[in-house]
Amino acid sequence: MSDTLLTIEHLAKSFGENTIHRDINLKLKKHEMLGLLGNSGTGKSVLLRSIIGLERIDSGKIYYQDKRIDNLVEDELFPVRTKISYAFQNGALFDSINIFENIAYPLFEHTKLTFTEITAKVENMLALVGLEGKTTLMPSDLSGGMRKRVGLARSIILNPDVVLYDEPTAGLDPVNTENILNIMQKMKETGTAGIFVTHDIPAAVKVCDRIVIIDKGIIAYEGTPDDLMSSDNEIVNRFFKDHNDEYAKGKA
Amino acid sequence: MTSLKKTKFEKFIFTVGDMVIFFKDFVVCCFTRPFYYHKFIEQMVRLGIDSITITAIIGFVAGLIMTLEFGHGLAKFGGTLYVPAIVSLSIVREMSPILTSLLIAGRIGSGITAEIGSMNVTEQVDAIRALGTSPIRVLVVPKVLATMLSLPLLTIMASFLGILSGMLIANLEFGISPGFFLNKALQSVKFPDLIGGFIKSFVFSIIISVTACYRGFKTRDGTTGVGNSTTWVVVTASIGILFADFFLSKILILTLHKYR
Repeated sequence: MSDTLLTIEHLAKSFGENTIHRDINLKLKKHEMLGLLGNSGTGKSVLLRSIIGLERIDSGKIYYQDKRIDNLVEDELFPVRTKISYAFQNGALFDSINIFENIAYPLFEHTKLTFTEITAKVENMLALVGLEGKTTLMPSDLSGGMRKRVGLARSIILNPDVVLYDEPTAGLDPVNTENILNIMQKMKETGTAGIFVTHDIPAAVKVCDRIVIIDKGIIAYEGTPDDLMSSDNEIVNRFFKDHNDEYAKGKA
Repeated sequence: MTSLKKTKFEKFIFTVGDMVIFFKDFVVCCFTRPFYYHKFIEQMVRLGIDSITITAIIGFVAGLIMTLEFGHGLAKFGGTLYVPAIVSLSIVREMSPILTSLLIAGRIGSGITAEIGSMNVTEQVDAIRALGTSPIRVLVVPKVLATMLSLPLLTIMASFLGILSGMLIANLEFGISPGFFLNKALQSVKFPDLIGGFIKSFVFSIIISVTACYRGFKTRDGTTGVGNSTTWVVVTASIGILFADFFLSKILILTLHKYR
């Protein structure tokens, strides 16, 4: 049995005349946290959305374990989406229902748990993301950081094999960033693999086992966080310069 | 100029085709599990019960105006006694289905589009899909079915209130007794007329709700897009209702009304 959870082969995606991905090749191993870096507009989020079929790819193949998933129709993708979950950048909470109902939504949909069991699971999950006792609040009552944490809680409550983190720390203060990274670290410790899309180099270095940089529609760099920090690769240096001068200076 | 027209025409054909596929998906979801009963009940309350007051007002006022206008118009020819029959028939066959549907297109249609459109631009529709569920089942089926059930019922209520208010104003303005009015109304309005009105409002409910849901899913460009979509839905659904009314009237005249 292969230890590869996700395999992407020769993925290409365009929006009209705008080519986003030319030839993406990527593998995600079990229990691995993969950092996906790249400048704005390089298609990091589009890649995550393509993996779970929210965007249809133009060509190429995507496999989950040994099963090809890029050619599945919407209904066939539903079971896959319980195994590969997506943590939206802004939480994407359902604003007409409260926090409890938001987090419990996947459990009501995909499990036969009793209401008591669901309540217990939701409370545990809220404790994990540091929001104990907030079940009755509405999404509009929450801060940006809290919304992200609730969104994260909703995406991991079914114990997926892979979590696709779409810039979970973007726009957050250091305390909230640390909270989110701790949750991701805990998920990693429980054996859940993940792809972490971010511009935040220190965050990626902290939680990722491997980091790739996407540039001009291809995976332009791949290595461990240590490799990244010591790399003289032109794309790496340019990325550091563009995103974190201070960090780049430290590196130098 | 020619190519621009062609592009617009192509867009129109594409939109119509896309809506037909959307409607097919809705029908498939109606007959397959899971079905969200609680959401259907919730929508019945929001779309149906919450529309009772405004529909009652429209139905009542329409009856008042029509009786007044017909009464004074026919009085010139000594035809006041025909007012109950004309008013009742026009209300049941045309005015109630049309007025109620146009009202509902404005109230419910725009509401549905604004709700789904807002969910779309804030990635909530994507979240429904990403959590392994179907937005058509979760959002569209309950809303469309609730509209399909509530609009004909609201139309019946509007017809009843229109005739009632007509009876009231006929008595006050033209001295027609309520008993005479009611007797003439019951003699003129036959079962096929009631069924015809019901069929019309049922078809209009599909036009309103399917158009509204479809456009909600196609909403882009943030809050501006939501505003544009709601306007588009009210205009498109209203035009659709008026055209459909013409063709339905013709079909009903050729079929159902033969059995009056």
